[in-house]
Amino acid sequence: METMGFLLDGFGVALQPHNLMFALMGAFLGTLIGALPGLGPANGVAILIPLAFTLGLRPETALIMLTAVYAGAMYGGRISSILLNIPGDEPAMMTCLDGYPMARKGKAAEALAISAIASFIGSLIATIGLILLAPMLAKFALTFGAAEYFALFVLAFATLGGITGKNPVKTILAAAIGLIIATVGIDMSTGVQRFTFGTLELYEGVDFIIAIVGLFAISELLVFIEEKAGAGREMIKVNKLKLNWRDIASVFPTTVRGGVIGFISGVLPGAGASLGSFISYTLEKKVLGSKNTFGEGDPRGVAAPEAGNNGAASGALVPMLTLGVPGSGTTAVLLAMLISLNITPGPLMFTQNADIVWGVIAALLIGNFLLLLLNIPLVGVFVKLLSVPPMYLLPVVTMIAFVGIYSISHSTFDLYFMVAFGVGGYVLRKLEIPLVPVILGLLLGPEMEKNLRHAMQISDGDWTILWGSGLAVTLWVIAIIGLVLPVIVGPVLRRRMKAKQPD
Amino acid sequence: MRLNDRIFGLLMFVLAVAYGWGAQQFPEPFSGTEAVGPETFPTILAVVLALSSVYLMVRPDPNNGWPLGRTAVEMLISIAVLIVYTLVLEPLGFIVATTLMVGTLCWRMGAPVVRSYITGLIGGIVVFLLFNYVLELSLPWGVLSFLEVH
Repeated sequence: METMGFLLDGFGVALQPHNLMFALMGAFLGTLIGALPGLGPANGVAILIPLAFTLGLRPETALIMLTAVYAGAMYGGRISSILLNIPGDEPAMMTCLDGYPMARKGKAAEALAISAIASFIGSLIATIGLILLAPMLAKFALTFGAAEYFALFVLAFATLGGITGKNPVKTILAAAIGLIIATVGIDMSTGVQRFTFGTLELYEGVDFIIAIVGLFAISELLVFIEEKAGAGREMIKVNKLKLNWRDIASVFPTTVRGGVIGFISGVLPGAGASLGSFISYTLEKKVLGSKNTFGEGDPRGVAAPEAGNNGAASGALVPMLTLGVPGSGTTAVLLAMLISLNITPGPLMFTQNADIVWGVIAALLIGNFLLLLLNIPLVGVFVKLLSVPPMYLLPVVTMIAFVGIYSISHSTFDLYFMVAFGVGGYVLRKLEIPLVPVILGLLLGPEMEKNLRHAMQISDGDWTILWGSGLAVTLWVIAIIGLVLPVIVGPVLRRRMKAKQPD
Repeated sequence: MRLNDRIFGLLMFVLAVAYGWGAQQFPEPFSGTEAVGPETFPTILAVVLALSSVYLMVRPDPNNGWPLGRTAVEMLISIAVLIVYTLVLEPLGFIVATTLMVGTLCWRMGAPVVRSYITGLIGGIVVFLLFNYVLELSLPWGVLSFLEVH
C-alpha cells in the first residue's frame, strides 16, 4: 500500500493549479500534434522540449506537460485516420480500416466519439498496469550492476527495430552512428578531448535536443516537399453526434481486451504501439468470429486498435521510467527531457525523485480525463485545425523549431547544426535507416560507456564480467533473439500488416 | 540497382576507419592507463560500424529513388532558404527574416504568393510578441530596432 501513498502524493503534485493548467495545454497541443499529418508524436514532443526549457518550468511541470502531450498525440492520431484515411501517426494506421468506412457512411462523429472513449479506456487500463508494475520492476532493477546495465543497453538497441523491423543490420548501424556522435566532446571521466577538432562549440558534445529536432522536424519538411503533399487531401464532413449508452456498452469488451493487449506490447521490448494496435485488431476479429463486419465500418474495429495503441503508449512508459531504457521514438524524446533536466532515469528515480515520478503518473491519469473531455465536445476545433493545408503548416512548424533551438543558447551555430541534422535525417530516411536508434544512441551513449567503465573497474579489466551473472546472460540472450527473430518472423508479419493497410 | 546502400556502406566504412584510427591517437590521460580508457568505447563502436557497413555493401537493399529534376531543385531551394534564414536572423531581425523564410517555403510548397508572405508575417509577429513580451525571452529586432521601446 506504499504505492497508494505515493500516488496520492502524486495527485497532490499534479493537481496544483499551474500543473493542471500545463497538463491541459499539453493535452490540447498533443491532440493537435497527433492529428496533423506530418507532425508525429516524437517530432511534436521534440519541438516542445526547448520551449519547455525556455519557459523555465520546474522539472515536474515540464514533465507533466510533455506527458500530456504524449498521451494527447495518441488520441489525436485517430482524427485524421477517420476523416482523411491518412494516419496522423504510425500507430493510428489500423484505425483507418474501419474508421474511414464508418465516416463515409455518415457516421464520422460516432467513429470519433467511440475511438475517443476507447482511447480513454485503453489508456486507463494501461496506466493502472503501469502503477502496479513499475514499482516492482524498479525494485528488481536495483539489483542490476554495471555489467547488467551494459547488457540492458545492448538489448534496448537490439530490440528497437521491433519484430516487424526490416533490416536489423540497419538498426545496429543507426545505433552506432548515434553512439559515435555521443562520444564527441570532452570525455567525462578522463578529461581527454575526443573528436572536437579544436572547435569550442564541440567541447561539450553535441546537444541531443538539437539533433532530435533537426532529425525529425527538418527532415519531415523535406519529405513533404519531395512528395508534393502540400495541398492536403479532401476531408469528410462531420455529422451531428448520435450516440447512446448501448453503443458504448457494445464496444466495451473489445476495448478492455484491446487495452490489455496494448499495455503488454507497450511494456515488452521490440513490440510497441503499432504492433499493439495491429494485434488487438486482428485478435478482436478472431474473437468476434462471424459476428463482425470489420473493414466495412464496424465500431468495434475502431475501438480495438485505438484501445490498443493508447494502452501501448502508457505501457511504453514502464521501461522508460524504471530502467531508463525507452522502447520507442517518443519515449526516447521524453527520456531526452529527463536527462536535460538532470534527472537520472532508472530505478533510483523512484526513490530519489519520487515526487516527480508519481506526479507524472498521476498526471497521466488526470490527463486522460482531460483528453476525454477535450476530445468529445471540442472535436470540431481539431477538425477545423486539421483542414489547414500542410503547405502553410509545415513552414510555421519549421519556424517554431528554429525559435525553440535559438532560444536555448542564442547561437546561430546550433541552427546550422540543426539544419545539417535535418538533411542527414532525410538521407537516412531515404536509405530506410531508422532514426530512433540514432537518437537513442545519442542519449544512452554516455551512460553506456560509464557502465562499461564501472564494470571493468570492478573486474579489474576482465571482460568476461559483462556476461558473468545469470541476469546478464539472460539479457544478452534476449538481445540476440531480438536481432534474429525479426529476420525469421518479420517478413510474415509485415506482409500481414501490409495486406490490411488501406492504399 | 542497389547502389544507394553500397555507396552509403562505403562512406560509413571510411568513417569507421577514420574514427577508429582517430580514437587510437588520443593522448594518454593524466590518471594513467586503465582497463577502459578514452579510446576503448570508440574502438568498439568503430568495429561495430565497420562490420555493419560491410554487410550493407555486401547485401544492399533495393534503392529508393532520389528526387530528380524539379523536385530536387525545390528541395535544394528549401535547404538554402533555411541556411539563409539562419544567416540573416540576427542582422535582419526575427520578424523580417521569418516573413521571408515562412513566406518563401509556403509559396514553394504551392500556396499563392501573397497569402504565403502574409502567413509568414503574421506568424513572425505573433511568435515575436509572445516571446519578447509574454515569455520575456529576447528574439532579435534587427532592422526593426527603431521600433523598440526603451
